[in-house]
Amino acid sequence: MQNGRLSHLIKKEFLLEFRQKSTFAGILVYIVATVFVSALSFKKIIHPMVWNALFWVIFMFIAVNVSSKSFMQETKGKGLFNYLYYNPRQFILGKIIYNMLLMATLSLLTFFFYSWFVGSMVQDMGMFLTTLLFSSTAFSGVLSLMSAIASKANNNMSLMAILSFPVLMPLLLVSIKLSKHAIDGLAWSVSYKYLLILIMLNFVVIALATILFNYLWRE
Amino acid sequence: MKNKFFILFAILFLSVIGKAQAITGEPKMADTFRSEGKIYVVIAVLSIIFVCLIAYLIYLDIKLRRLEKKD
Amino acid sequence: MIKWWKILAAVMILYTLVWGLLNPVPRLDILNETIRNVYYHVPIWFAMLFQMGYSVVFAIKQLAKNDMRSDLISNQAAQVGLFLSIPGLLTGCMWAKFTWGTWWTFEDPKLNGVAIAVLIYLAYFILRSSIIDELKRARIAAVYNIFAFVMMFVFIMILPRLTDSLHPGNGGNPAFGKYDLDSNMRTVFYPAVIGWVLLSLWILDIKKRLATLHYQKHEE
Repeated sequence: MQNGRLSHLIKKEFLLEFRQKSTFAGILVYIVATVFVSALSFKKIIHPMVWNALFWVIFMFIAVNVSSKSFMQETKGKGLFNYLYYNPRQFILGKIIYNMLLMATLSLLTFFFYSWFVGSMVQDMGMFLTTLLFSSTAFSGVLSLMSAIASKANNNMSLMAILSFPVLMPLLLVSIKLSKHAIDGLAWSVSYKYLLILIMLNFVVIALATILFNYLWRE
Repeated sequence: MKNKFFILFAILFLSVIGKAQAITGEPKMADTFRSEGKIYVVIAVLSIIFVCLIAYLIYLDIKLRRLEKKD
Repeated sequence: MIKWWKILAAVMILYTLVWGLLNPVPRLDILNETIRNVYYHVPIWFAMLFQMGYSVVFAIKQLAKNDMRSDLISNQAAQVGLFLSIPGLLTGCMWAKFTWGTWWTFEDPKLNGVAIAVLIYLAYFILRSSIIDELKRARIAAVYNIFAFVMMFVFIMILPRLTDSLHPGNGGNPAFGKYDLDSNMRTVFYPAVIGWVLLSLWILDIKKRLATLHYQKHEE
């Protein structure tokens, strides 16, 4: 019964997204626009570090913008319905899983457009994609919790950004380190340490988000 | 008056902190400093500053106690 | 209220100030006399971590009991902790200048972790100021406090041990224990830690009473 509700929740989020095609199109426009602008200004990126940094900056910008929308959409009436119908843990898990899938897709899309416009410098694609996967899940965990907090505090978008940035920075650092390894094509053994750190951060963040959301729920 | 102490303290403090020793010598410590009794000046300065801070804390404490007693 | 532990705090720190400069320390390269900074720089950070821990304990209490007193204590403790990070950072920068050759570096994960922890708690205060309703503010701030503390702990204590670091005791460097911390330095170091923690509790006590008076005045 509970599992059924969880998948039902995720399906509901997807349906919401597809019905409002405008939001997804908006996200696509964000990605293409930022990548295009950077491609224009950089003309040709020679140094892999610049490529790396720019990619992650674009991804972070898009991630923060996108995740703020998912919680802002909840209106008062919907809020009450959610409270009565769903278990809070299911609700936050549903949101987090949906956000994870969303972030993962976004990261892939960003990478796709990035390499299309600017060119790809990645030598070890497997490592890079693994990095993208784990980073996007960690990002989604942090951003889900932060947007939940910010939505209770008067739905201020800049507040969400302020709350998220400090926590996202170490995540970014580790991700940048890992993707740099991927770009340089280093052996996987060099990156194990950072991968473990990234996975550990994932666990910590998602565990915290699920536990703490219970208390935010009652507002 | 305060300035003199501060300059003296700064000079003493900076000269105590480690300088890279010569290639053959053992790590230079502040022995000459201590033997000339200058270390006591450093201690005196730091203690005075600290005691002043503690005095301020005690003053705040007493003031708060008076305010609380009023109720 | 002059309590025994306040006097103890003052006495202990005074003792570390005096004896810390006089007692014999291991003679080491690069560090020379600056190893004495262990008596001052490290206890300040211990005190800050203690205050943040105090804050999170009361945040959890606030979520359990839903009262304003726990929220007040949690808030004040976080303020004291954040304030303590300033001398911690300053003493660290001074020490770094003389031993590592630079005031700051972005390579060391502990420095990064500390900078991020400061930013996280600054965000905590920004969050508090953006909610007007008291009870709501208490609950949401408590939730964020718990999150902030766990993340701070991860970034300051766990991550630096896993990666390469310049700090002793982390990532490939022997801890200070190897530097003969057993003998003479411990007689000053442990009282220093106790003294600074008690001093931070004294400052917290004053802030608590002041904030309570403020609160009672607002209630009228």
